[in-house]
Amino acid sequence: MTTSPNAVTVEESIQAFLRERTKRSWELDVDLFATGGVSSLFAMELVVHLEKTFSVTIAGPDLMIDNFRTVRTMTALVGRLRGAGDSDE
Amino acid sequence: MSDAADLTDDLSRAVAGLVGDQAGAWDRAGLLPDDLLRKCGASGVLCAEVPREYGGHGLSSADNGELTARVGSLCSSLRSVMTSQGMAAWSIQRLGTASQRGALLPRLTGGELAAVAFSEPEAGSDLNAITTTIRAEGEHVVVDGRKKWITVGRYADLFVVFGRYGDSAAAVVVPRDTPGVHVEPVADPLGCRAAGHADIEFRSVRVPAGQVLGGPGQSLPMLVTAALTYGRISVAWGCVGILRACLGAAARHTTSRSQFGQKLAEHQLVAGHLADLVVAEQVAAQACAEASRARDEGAPGMFVKSVAAKHIGATHAARAAATTVQLLASAGAEDGTVAARAYRDAKLMEIIEGTNEICQLILADHAVAEWA
Repeated sequence: MTTSPNAVTVEESIQAFLRERTKRSWELDVDLFATGGVSSLFAMELVVHLEKTFSVTIAGPDLMIDNFRTVRTMTALVGRLRGAGDSDE
Repeated sequence: MSDAADLTDDLSRAVAGLVGDQAGAWDRAGLLPDDLLRKCGASGVLCAEVPREYGGHGLSSADNGELTARVGSLCSSLRSVMTSQGMAAWSIQRLGTASQRGALLPRLTGGELAAVAFSEPEAGSDLNAITTTIRAEGEHVVVDGRKKWITVGRYADLFVVFGRYGDSAAAVVVPRDTPGVHVEPVADPLGCRAAGHADIEFRSVRVPAGQVLGGPGQSLPMLVTAALTYGRISVAWGCVGILRACLGAAARHTTSRSQFGQKLAEHQLVAGHLADLVVAEQVAAQACAEASRARDEGAPGMFVKSVAAKHIGATHAARAAATTVQLLASAGAEDGTVAARAYRDAKLMEIIEGTNEICQLILADHAVAEWA
């Protein structure tokens, strides 16, 4: 699978936010929540950061924790929501 | 003045008209009149941030905060109902699907009341210890568990119940009249006496699976953080209301009563207390405005700021209410009066939506993450 330039931008943007907030770098597939270094407030901060930065609405079923586990899953979520517009069903 | 500010004024005047001078009597009776609750519910004032398309007023967090403070200055029990209704509405808006929002939000702006059920006998500050279960059974889910000290539990038509769903978590909307729902009002709460606190038991309560907000598979800490952030900002603004009520009571009393040949307010020790009340109101209002601004901007800082606002509001309100009783002395020691209610209500604000100590732990985490 080729990665679109857009996805790279989203990935890099998410990685930059994580680096800034957690003072460490995050590879694409590292589970943020498995390492224990991330608080429950931080999970919601991530949600809101993605919404604001990429102009998407993450509501209802998209709030599942699995969507926020890794940089890759968040990038996929953003890509899907950008493609789908503002529908969650 | 903006349209939103006009609307906030209109809504708060309408509530003030319904409350009149009865807040003290409701406090002593431990009960809000059904007529008041239905009228407030149907006017959409209890969850005024709900978008207009769902029958709400679409207020910003800042405007709804000002409305909350004004209601809070009149009656903390009614303000607690606003916090509960708003938190339920926000949970539905944030966690629910589009069709759930369309089905449920108009009910919350149409006169039905909702309570949010987090805490349990063994899960107060430690909400990760929740043991209530929600499990699938065909086209239904079955809810089992006990919830404790649920604000508005006594009045609510709908409960938003947070529980475990297998290895994950879910929030499910349960109508009060579902078989297996048992509501036991808390007798004589210390504060917000008329807010309808109740213990609720769910015994094999079956509701359609479509009542699970957004479907199962969610994270309990995320669900709780999303819902509680609304609640914390609302409680914080409610504390600003308590502070304003205290300022009014203290200023009126100390300018109308004289001792040792001069007005109380002219005694310097009393004047010092009055200044402290002014400072407390300013500090709490600024912290609330900051949290609401972050929420209105969709800024990630809203979560920490809402905890800070709640903590600042509650601690300042508790201290200021004690000061106010001191200033009013015997006049403030009479139950049901503004000062006596503020004293009891403010103490409760240091406990609900995260105790002082839980707030401190969250803020300390933030200090380490942000400032180390």
